[in-house]
Amino acid sequence: MKPETNPHACLGPEHGMSRRRVLGVLGGLAGFGSLLNPTVSRALEKKEKQVCLIWLDGGISQYESWHPLPGTRFGGPFRSIPTRTPGIHFCELMKHTARISDKISVIRNMETKDPNHSSGVPRIQRGDPIDRGVVYPYLGSAVSKLLGPADPDLPPYIWIKPGNGGFIHREAGFLGAEHGALALGDGTPPVHIHRPKGISPENDEARNALRKKINERFRSTRGASEIDAYETSYEMAERLMARKEIFDDSKLSPKDRDRYGSHPLGRHILRARQLLEAGIRFIKVNSYHWDTHGDNFNMSQRLIPQADRPFAALIEDLEERGMLDNTLVILMSEFGRTPNVNSRIGRDHWPDCWSLALAGCGIKQGAVVGKTSGDGAWVDGTGYDIGDLFHTIFSVLGIDARRERYLYKGQKLAIAHDECKPIREVMA
Amino acid sequence: MNPAAIDIKSVRVAREFKHEAQLFRARFSPCGKYFAAVGVDALVHVWNIETGDLKSFKGHKTWISSMAFGASSNSLYTADYQGVIHCWNYLGDANTRPRWSIASADRDNVRALAIAGNGRFLLSAGDDAVIKAWDAKNGKPVAQLPGHSECIFSLAVHPGEKHLVSGDLFGTIRKWTIGDWKPAGKLDAATLHTRKDNFIADVGGVRSLAFSPDGKRLAAGGFRDAKSNSFCPGTPAVLVFDWGSGKRNHELRLKAKSDGPINGLRFLPDGSIVGYGEHLHSATEMAFWRPPASPPAHSLTGHSAYDLDLHPDGRRLLAPVYVSGGTSGNGAQKRHRDKYSPNATVLRIYNLFPEPAEKQAEG
Repeated sequence: MKPETNPHACLGPEHGMSRRRVLGVLGGLAGFGSLLNPTVSRALEKKEKQVCLIWLDGGISQYESWHPLPGTRFGGPFRSIPTRTPGIHFCELMKHTARISDKISVIRNMETKDPNHSSGVPRIQRGDPIDRGVVYPYLGSAVSKLLGPADPDLPPYIWIKPGNGGFIHREAGFLGAEHGALALGDGTPPVHIHRPKGISPENDEARNALRKKINERFRSTRGASEIDAYETSYEMAERLMARKEIFDDSKLSPKDRDRYGSHPLGRHILRARQLLEAGIRFIKVNSYHWDTHGDNFNMSQRLIPQADRPFAALIEDLEERGMLDNTLVILMSEFGRTPNVNSRIGRDHWPDCWSLALAGCGIKQGAVVGKTSGDGAWVDGTGYDIGDLFHTIFSVLGIDARRERYLYKGQKLAIAHDECKPIREVMA
Repeated sequence: MNPAAIDIKSVRVAREFKHEAQLFRARFSPCGKYFAAVGVDALVHVWNIETGDLKSFKGHKTWISSMAFGASSNSLYTADYQGVIHCWNYLGDANTRPRWSIASADRDNVRALAIAGNGRFLLSAGDDAVIKAWDAKNGKPVAQLPGHSECIFSLAVHPGEKHLVSGDLFGTIRKWTIGDWKPAGKLDAATLHTRKDNFIADVGGVRSLAFSPDGKRLAAGGFRDAKSNSFCPGTPAVLVFDWGSGKRNHELRLKAKSDGPINGLRFLPDGSIVGYGEHLHSATEMAFWRPPASPPAHSLTGHSAYDLDLHPDGRRLLAPVYVSGGTSGNGAQKRHRDKYSPNATVLRIYNLFPEPAEKQAEG
């Protein structure tokens, strides 16, 4: 967190609290040492709030997951199974999560505005605040700014994704590159986390000093953002280099690997668990190809278990480690899928009535909220917009979104949609 | 049957039967007077072709995914996504209950049914990758044929009644003997399966299988070169094998835009092949091929269809064709809330012979 002179500084009291959290020496955790990563993090000792956002890009079908309605005109072919929460059913493809339903909340009446991926993904991940002519940060960058790193020696925002990694400064919007995401391609550490064998520590230090000097010269004549992003990525790599034991997979048991699954999403959620244990403030885990316009039911059979099993395992593990009280886990997409089945036996995009799940960090346990029409197509009554979800997320993280403001070029900016409010039904 | 009695270039829609739910399988009865169709409404629908009368049998609790008419006793077999098979008297009234049922024919979805052994055996296959043979009279288990490593989409029985074939997600076609139930070899249709590095699921599979009337050729339908596991768009294709050698001789393509698999596939009495495509939100075609030519010799434009059957007279085809309810596509569609309705089906019977001269004059 930058000092008060930062032009993007927050104005609310939470900011000061956040810095104290980072630097403070609060009470430690006791009794969970055997389960935790041996390098038990400062964040855990201090009970810092942490977040894991599991993002199923393209849109998971609510009918084939959280809101099965077999036998209705839009319901799919899969069974509806009872969960641990009396009276609540999930789709049979969510059998592992059904077993831990008493630890999570499900919202079934999300009603958002954008039916397209290209505009919908940023709109949802930015919380769709009122347009004030600025590019708002994605959720991870916002939390990075508002709470700072949970461990000052670690980057605040890590994004685990398929494909390439790198430093994604664009997610930070007007907050500036330092709040961008350090992306780990396929969950692997940045390539420059390991100092090449042929370079001594002294030479490496000299090399970095030279790089910084050249960057400063470049900065004096060019815009700062690209250089900031470049510099920040190196700083983060330096910090990770000192903590590379975080990525030591030899400490993972075969049982854990099996519980999370060998597919990319399972491996990446397991990596997220490691990083939460290490003390990363915000972790986003992306899985792509959930946009099942074609062959929705065959694909759902294969895709949804890839989210179900590691999601349930993560919740169980966080609880077992005493971390769930302070770790918010979110499983969502940019929208749901159409009630109608199209000509390719797929489901299209449906922002009108869809579902997501939350757990931990002051989220109610075993709650399923939101009334819908009997066929699940429409919200019955008032639905929740993404702004409501952002207020909820900020609220359980201890951030008062009604008072907290970003300061950007002298302008005070709301951190979430002014007209939305927390979803009290899912808050403990 | 006289092959000269059909002319694929004269194909036309002769009858239409509209239905308010999406139906994915349709078959003519052996007597040729009826056809049955099944799909998302969990009902078994039987139409009288001449009168248009419809009976709908209740028994399944979820989408019905496969069906086959028995060789005798007016039997119709239907199977669903939850592994249940029912045997019906399709000439019974609308209150007809199943003659018998199999509660767990598969772990999940029974994707294919077929009749073998001159009507003695009912074959089922699906998600658990094991083919099961049942006594067609009473549903008692006869044999299990493990061997596939992924879900089975399709079954077909050789006209000689000595062999059956099964096609799976990975594009493996396995041959089996009927009666002693032994593996008898494999055919390679891996072209119909796609798994790229950035996919999170396997796409495609042998979605349909059909033998030529003389038993010398086997056709396998599906789609190749899928571009993603989300839209699952690919290039529809039919692979034609020589049954004796197992050699793949031809690959047939559609001419019209089409991005889904070929689920409906039949040989016609004259040796030509007919297949029907799927396309997202717009029309595709029913195509007629005369191998070795890869492009269709003739085609008929139409919306997506998921099955195709040949009438016992060899001169008519049946297909369950997709009908948009008018509100398909991406939301937000709150403004359409009052008229938002499920998509539907039209069961089309196509004649494969020229219209009589007097009919043409009337028209």
